[in-house]
Amino acid sequence: MKKALITGITGQDGAYLVELLLKKGYEVHGIKRRSSLFNTQRIDHLYEDPHTPTRHLVLHYGDLTDSTNLIRIIQEVQPDEIYNLAAMSHVHVSFETPEYTANADGIGALRILEAIRLLGLTKKTKFYQASTSELYGLVQAVPQSETTPFYPRSPYAVAKLYAYWITVNYREAYGMYACNGILFNHESPLRGETFVTRKITRGVAKIALGLQDCIYLGNLNAQRDWGHAKDYVEAMWLMLQQEQATDFVVATGITTYIRDFVRMSFKEVGVELEFKGSGESEIGVVVNNGGNDKIKVGQEVVKVDPRYYRPTEVDLLIGDPTKAQQLLGWQPKYTLDSMVKEMVASDIELFKKEQLLKESGFQIRNEYE
Amino acid sequence: MVYALPQAAEKIETIYYTLKRALVIGVGGQDGAYIADLLLQQGYEVFGTSRDADAASFRNLDILGIRNRVQLHSLNLIDFRSTLQALKKIKPDEIYNLSGQSSVGLSFEQPVETLESISIGTLNLLESIRFMDAPVKMYNAGSSECFGDIGNTPATEDTPFRPRSPYAVAKAAAFWKVANYREAYQLFACTGILFNHESPLRPPRFVTRKIISTAVRIQQGSKEKLRLGNIDIERDWGWAPEYVNAMWRMLQQEQPGDYVICTGVTHSLKYFIEYTFQQLGLNYEDHLEIDSQLFRPNELKIGRGNPEKAARILGWKAAVSLEGVIENMIAFELNKQ
Repeated sequence: MKKALITGITGQDGAYLVELLLKKGYEVHGIKRRSSLFNTQRIDHLYEDPHTPTRHLVLHYGDLTDSTNLIRIIQEVQPDEIYNLAAMSHVHVSFETPEYTANADGIGALRILEAIRLLGLTKKTKFYQASTSELYGLVQAVPQSETTPFYPRSPYAVAKLYAYWITVNYREAYGMYACNGILFNHESPLRGETFVTRKITRGVAKIALGLQDCIYLGNLNAQRDWGHAKDYVEAMWLMLQQEQATDFVVATGITTYIRDFVRMSFKEVGVELEFKGSGESEIGVVVNNGGNDKIKVGQEVVKVDPRYYRPTEVDLLIGDPTKAQQLLGWQPKYTLDSMVKEMVASDIELFKKEQLLKESGFQIRNEYE
Repeated sequence: MVYALPQAAEKIETIYYTLKRALVIGVGGQDGAYIADLLLQQGYEVFGTSRDADAASFRNLDILGIRNRVQLHSLNLIDFRSTLQALKKIKPDEIYNLSGQSSVGLSFEQPVETLESISIGTLNLLESIRFMDAPVKMYNAGSSECFGDIGNTPATEDTPFRPRSPYAVAKAAAFWKVANYREAYQLFACTGILFNHESPLRPPRFVTRKIISTAVRIQQGSKEKLRLGNIDIERDWGWAPEYVNAMWRMLQQEQPGDYVICTGVTHSLKYFIEYTFQQLGLNYEDHLEIDSQLFRPNELKIGRGNPEKAARILGWKAAVSLEGVIENMIAFELNKQ
């Protein structure tokens, strides 16, 4: 039985990947950070009690900022494959916590590579590094492929740049099977609540259920290449099943304005929007409420708050997935439309619970973040 | 007359602060010593730091005869508090960050220390400057190692990085941090992407210094062999004392920017060896031994740079050729003995 170790197993990608690997018959080990709160919601449905005799999913406490801890876990598990998905993954927050971001996202990758080397596992253990389209930042070519030069524009992207190159370096210097997946934005109903897509679909669900009046967003003119995380974890796995380790861009090849993502999400609940004004004073106004009396025609449901602007903005990302299509035979199954549909439907289900509470007289909070 | 003393003191204080203040981080190293010397000549008040100023030897400052003119402090860039405290105390107008693990070979042995001293160190410094909220100008030491194997087209400021050692990867991250803080927070911060620059102050583990000192010992009767790894590599070698002038010029511009600093001429290591032995009346082939143990996991074949932007904007051009570098280094080595 093949063994895989996933860092960041409690995140969106970790949850989809563990599901895929269990289906493929792997024994999966995951690393999660200690916390006083439960943080395993995304994988609770897969969790097995430690007393189960033959467990297929085992969780370890660990942290990418702790070398000895990583060495010990890797020694114990002796994994065939390591997927490094753990990171401080929020671009805007990285401007607030640049040093922590460099430590976890940059040195974290180095710590795992060194642990593999130190334990004499360079021939056995394959390593996947979660790289990001944010590396392209101020894009030097359109679309972006494996050969497009990087121009990182945030502490997050600079830390990920270090991790990218140190992965390449360990492959070249020590002959390790190590590769980077340069994944463009990938979303799902499991996306963290502070990321813009999920913030939008959650906001739309709450507005449609009458639990909130308006969503505040940052730069509506940013363009992103959005895919579905479930499709993208398939590409991660494929990268580790090749004869040669190399780096791949994973993207849809289609880019969409944030503004249009908002429009599509509202359309899912039957609401049509019109955008007026520009810059900080741009607003999204309801022109058709689709018969939902919780929303009024003329209601301003989208407003811009410059607080969400980044100090250095990344305007346009669009990936060229040709190499992944040709060498991995990878094809996404979701379209942006079907993904938005799934996300909005899932958030509506989620907030029906809150609606029930509100209607029964309990107090619920309005979350704008 | 009770008030006379404070008044006099205030007056001195005023004069004291009109001098430009420069902080050289990593003043114990080759570049740190040379820039300190240059800044003193320019009339700056110069502060220099090392991780432990009490334990450091500052041999290079002694060699240049400036040890007593540089005010020495301890500063470890890995420690944010230590960095901020030093900046608050010194209140520099210009900062030159020349600290950090500087050997490519050693970086394969100590990748984490290399990353922390170079990349996290730069980040802490940028954060401290941001915190100071004063118009401090900063120079950060970049490296041509970031370009990786260049081939035949000389690297410019627009050439994409392709780092091939833990050292180069750390320098690439530091470069982008400087660029990002310049763009996001409008700091006056520059990176000099310096190609190899040598001098007698290089530590002996660097290949140029090793060749010169071994060849001089052989000429004076030593029977030892010069043991080297790959001698087919090609590099652009310049004279460190004039490279620090380019650093200073970068901070005297209206706008901050990044600059490639090199001579524009590339030679093989073999030529370096050949010319050195020739200067001493020796034939290198009689004394050289290739040692495969000294090959690096990931050696760069060619380093080649284009110094046109520095010439155009900074008015800086390298005056000393490779031959000049070798002659100067030999002269120093002979004088020492």
